[in-house]
Amino acid sequence: MKLSSFRYLVRQGFDNVWKNRVMAFASFCVLLVSLLLVGISILFYININSIIGGIEDQNEAVIYMMDNATPERVAEVGDTLRLMDNVSEVIFVSRDQALTDLQNNTKEPELFQSLSDDNPLPDSYRIKVKDISKMEQTISSAEKIPDVLYARSPDTFVKLLLEIRRIVTIVAIAIIIALLIVSTVIISNTTRASVFSRRREISIMQSVGATKSFIRFPFFIEGMINGFLAGAFAMLLTWFSYKSLVELLSKFDGLSSIGFGNVIPYSRIALPVALSYVIAGSLIGAFGSVLSTRVHLKYRAANM
Amino acid sequence: MVELKNVSVTYESTGVEALSDVSLKVEDGEFAFVIGRSGAGKSTLIKLLLKEIDANKGEVYVNGYDLIKMRKRKIPEFRRTIGVVFQDYRLIDTMTVYENIAFVLRVIDAPKKQIRKRVPYVMSLVGLQDKADCYPSELSGGEQQRCALARALVNDPALLIADEPTGNVDPELAYELVELLQGINACGTTILMVTHAHEMVRHFGGRIINISEGEVVFDEVIGGAEIEAE
Repeated sequence: MKLSSFRYLVRQGFDNVWKNRVMAFASFCVLLVSLLLVGISILFYININSIIGGIEDQNEAVIYMMDNATPERVAEVGDTLRLMDNVSEVIFVSRDQALTDLQNNTKEPELFQSLSDDNPLPDSYRIKVKDISKMEQTISSAEKIPDVLYARSPDTFVKLLLEIRRIVTIVAIAIIIALLIVSTVIISNTTRASVFSRRREISIMQSVGATKSFIRFPFFIEGMINGFLAGAFAMLLTWFSYKSLVELLSKFDGLSSIGFGNVIPYSRIALPVALSYVIAGSLIGAFGSVLSTRVHLKYRAANM
Repeated sequence: MVELKNVSVTYESTGVEALSDVSLKVEDGEFAFVIGRSGAGKSTLIKLLLKEIDANKGEVYVNGYDLIKMRKRKIPEFRRTIGVVFQDYRLIDTMTVYENIAFVLRVIDAPKKQIRKRVPYVMSLVGLQDKADCYPSELSGGEQQRCALARALVNDPALLIADEPTGNVDPELAYELVELLQGINACGTTILMVTHAHEMVRHFGGRIINISEGEVVFDEVIGGAEIEAE
């Protein structure tokens, strides 16, 4: 194909969007709604995951040292813990610090006053793990370190969190797949209707000797323009609604204590969201359009 | 050149035999009228010559192409050697007169220079030079037909097939159109004109191919009214 023909077909694609604006608008709307449904579902899932992740991060396990462990051994155990794969943070809590904390956290600190001279509490390490699902293995490994008395983790809560994450993941993936299927069917029907409404134009092109690629190319461009616009519009709508929602949530102080403080700020996901919308929109629009034209040309060839 | 050898066409969906053992030959530079009643097989003949349908039996040759053995990917190339004027004009509504005509040249990757030269030439040939920027909906029936004719001619085809080109225009214009086709024929283009207008055919005379119930029942050259008058 010559460059002049390429330019002509690209221009035809742009012109056709305006000339067939009713069907183009219908395709645009369908694509916009589909992109929004899938996009918002994915963002919702990512945020739920982030919130759960935030709650998980607050969970700590405590490794208690034996009473007779020397300060050198205690320090060595700390280093060993730091070297463990799944451990992200290690904080040493001396027996004196533990007693002070105990006194500070109780309503009757005088009860523990007598313990100051003979502190029964051991030295300990508070550790945070990278992957909460491996908490049990990490605890088990920590207990095998010499001079470690025992380790404690919030088992029940960890299991609950893991279960919530599992359910959220399954439900979110199911919803996203269902929306993708529904969107694909709707988009395919709309583009087929758009191509069908121009079957006369296509048949004229064929009768004067236009090749299939010559016929399909302007449809490809048209679909891509529609998809790009739908993607850009979906991005703007998402940006506006997401920011409004985050601002609304930030007004409720109580929500941050249950993890809503971990809602991802839009600035952090703006670029991937924009690119995903625009690229997905353009590709779905372009290939949906070409596929429908292809099906139409095949059907026409078979029924001539 | 058009040649059909013992061609039969049966539509699978209805079982109707539209053409039955048809043989005919139209030499280069000839002008032939194809006449016949509705359902006689004229449209089937045109579809066959445009490779829109295939024959169940026989051989079909058009402009040097063997249509029976032709591969699908060769069809566009073959169709570029033919100009077609349809009864319903088949102009693209979203394109202007100029764009409709130029489209044929764009399809064959013609240089811009050739498009700029050739399109105004054929537009003046059919008297549409002032309607370049009009859309088909802004033209009269006769103008649309002339636009369709210009589109068929712009590629300088070896064969021009006109399917009922006078069907939607008034008699005076119909005669003008045939005279225009005769002028084009005089320049060497083979013309096959399908028509219902027996009166007009008798007026112009020439080679007449009459199809009835899928068979060629008459294929002869007759003298026209002008010749008889002489």
